[in-house]
Amino acid sequence: MSEPSVRVEGLLKVFDVPEREAGLKAAAKGLVRRKTREIRAVDGISFSIEPGEVVGFLGPNGAGKTTTLKMLSGLLYPSGGEALVLGLVPSKRERDFLSRITLVMGNRNQLQWDLPALDSYELNRAIFRIPQAEFTEIRDELIELLGIEDLVRKPVRQLSLGERMKAEIVGALLHRPQVLFLDEPTIGLDVTMQKRIRAFVADYNARFGATVLLTSHYMADVEALCERVVVIHHGQILFDGALSGLADRFAAYKTIGVALENGKADLSRYGEVIHADGDWVTLRVPKAETSSVTARLLAEEEVLDLNVEDPPIEDVIELVFAQERPQAPHESE
Amino acid sequence: MRAMGATLRAELVGAGGVVERNFYLTRRYIYWDLAWFFWTVANTLTIVFIAQGIESTGGKIDVNQVATSLLIGAVVWAYLGVLFEFLMETVAWERWEGTIEYTFMAPLSRAMHLAGQGVFAISYGLLRAVFLFIACALFFDLSMPDANFFGAFVVIAIASISFIGIGVMTSVLPLISPEKGTQLGFVAQGTLLVVSGVYYPVSVLPGWMQFLAKFSPATYALAGARNAIQGGASMSELWPDIWPLILIGIFTIPLGLWVFSRGEHYAKKHGKLKRSG
Repeated sequence: MSEPSVRVEGLLKVFDVPEREAGLKAAAKGLVRRKTREIRAVDGISFSIEPGEVVGFLGPNGAGKTTTLKMLSGLLYPSGGEALVLGLVPSKRERDFLSRITLVMGNRNQLQWDLPALDSYELNRAIFRIPQAEFTEIRDELIELLGIEDLVRKPVRQLSLGERMKAEIVGALLHRPQVLFLDEPTIGLDVTMQKRIRAFVADYNARFGATVLLTSHYMADVEALCERVVVIHHGQILFDGALSGLADRFAAYKTIGVALENGKADLSRYGEVIHADGDWVTLRVPKAETSSVTARLLAEEEVLDLNVEDPPIEDVIELVFAQERPQAPHESE
Repeated sequence: MRAMGATLRAELVGAGGVVERNFYLTRRYIYWDLAWFFWTVANTLTIVFIAQGIESTGGKIDVNQVATSLLIGAVVWAYLGVLFEFLMETVAWERWEGTIEYTFMAPLSRAMHLAGQGVFAISYGLLRAVFLFIACALFFDLSMPDANFFGAFVVIAIASISFIGIGVMTSVLPLISPEKGTQLGFVAQGTLLVVSGVYYPVSVLPGWMQFLAKFSPATYALAGARNAIQGGASMSELWPDIWPLILIGIFTIPLGLWVFSRGEHYAKKHGKLKRSG
């Protein structure tokens, strides 16, 4: 069995955050005795990712996703635990590590705002020591794949958000990284642009066997790219497994869609009617009762069509995020 | 040995990339830079005209000598300002641009990253200083018959190594304090300004400040430049100003890199490595 591309063991990141009460007295007191609160942004998480895997890293805002990605990229030192990427410790900043990974952050930029993207690509060529011929080939291929031939000569600040993100992705992949940390790469993009970036990431993964750890608030990204998801909340992992298993674990209900011959029958006795569109009615029923309710529907009603589904992934994620962590933060002075 | 050579070559190529990027950025705003240059000229002239002002109010001075001395001080000071600005931008400007995480993730040693910044800052600063000196000298009937401009240039170039070392130390401040670090960087510049004899001889300072002046590379840079331009000192005569600069440079460069590495460690430990705003 091959070595995992990413291995995280009990990874911990604690921040001491200053805090004080409102008012002059508290402000003056804070000059002498500073009160801080310990925040466990990442609280002893463990997981591993095999080479070539595409894993969704999900969680609400402040769950610890970006903190984890920054620790895996070497931008943040862990407070405890261990992280290995491609068998190397990120915080050591080894050349072999830095030249084989990339981090794309939807709300950050590596391209210089005032320069055409082509100039920033040149800097990457020098820094990543990409031979000129190889660099030109990779750059032109990426530019063509993302369809930004006309954009790379304009100053980056004149590009739209979607155009900029595509130019950023080219810059991030010029050195053909083996591990991609993608932090909300489709944030703020329109649906068409999101689809294009998803397709590109899938293609890159397929062609180069790259390992991808993706965070996104768009479930469409996750459904399109990830077979496996890791769900983090309050710095702790709530779920690590197949995306399809998420609903089994967290959703207490399923949905039954049904169309009847007579069309207008009241189906509320079978479950909660959550949607009715013409003859098609969608019921929410407890997971354990799905089989019996389906059997009753088929026996008692003139059913034209029927299907049973897990709830939409957005709803499942909402349920997961609703879970609270029992542990209270430590306080110190 | 061959592997070491290859690594060094690769590092130099990376540092060259940083120089190239700074060139592109400067070129992008060259007209704004020219406008800023006019401001620097005006500012420098304001200082140099003081010599004529003293004479016109009855002061008995050698106007040519005082004006030249003030001009050298103002030009060296402006040069120092450019160096410090570029180095402060290593962090502050990248933080503002939002590129800081990527720069610190790049597979380039910090020494070479900072060397790239420093080399561009020195090249650009020296070029600017030469133009500034010429532009301002044209306003005055300055007589410099024995001037050893090459010697002055060499002194400033050697002093630049120390300036870079100090600049690297101050550039770490925005890394430690994203909110107030940049302003704090001016403390180092201000300290050098007051003790180094930029506009007056060091001998007029109180004893304890004269002691501090011994550790400032600007003291020797200014003395050397004045000796070369006003006194026509040869290279061998400039040696007493050059060797302390080399000594301070040997000390400040590694110290600067060490201070920066500690600052980077602090920033990565406390999550300060992120964009502003």
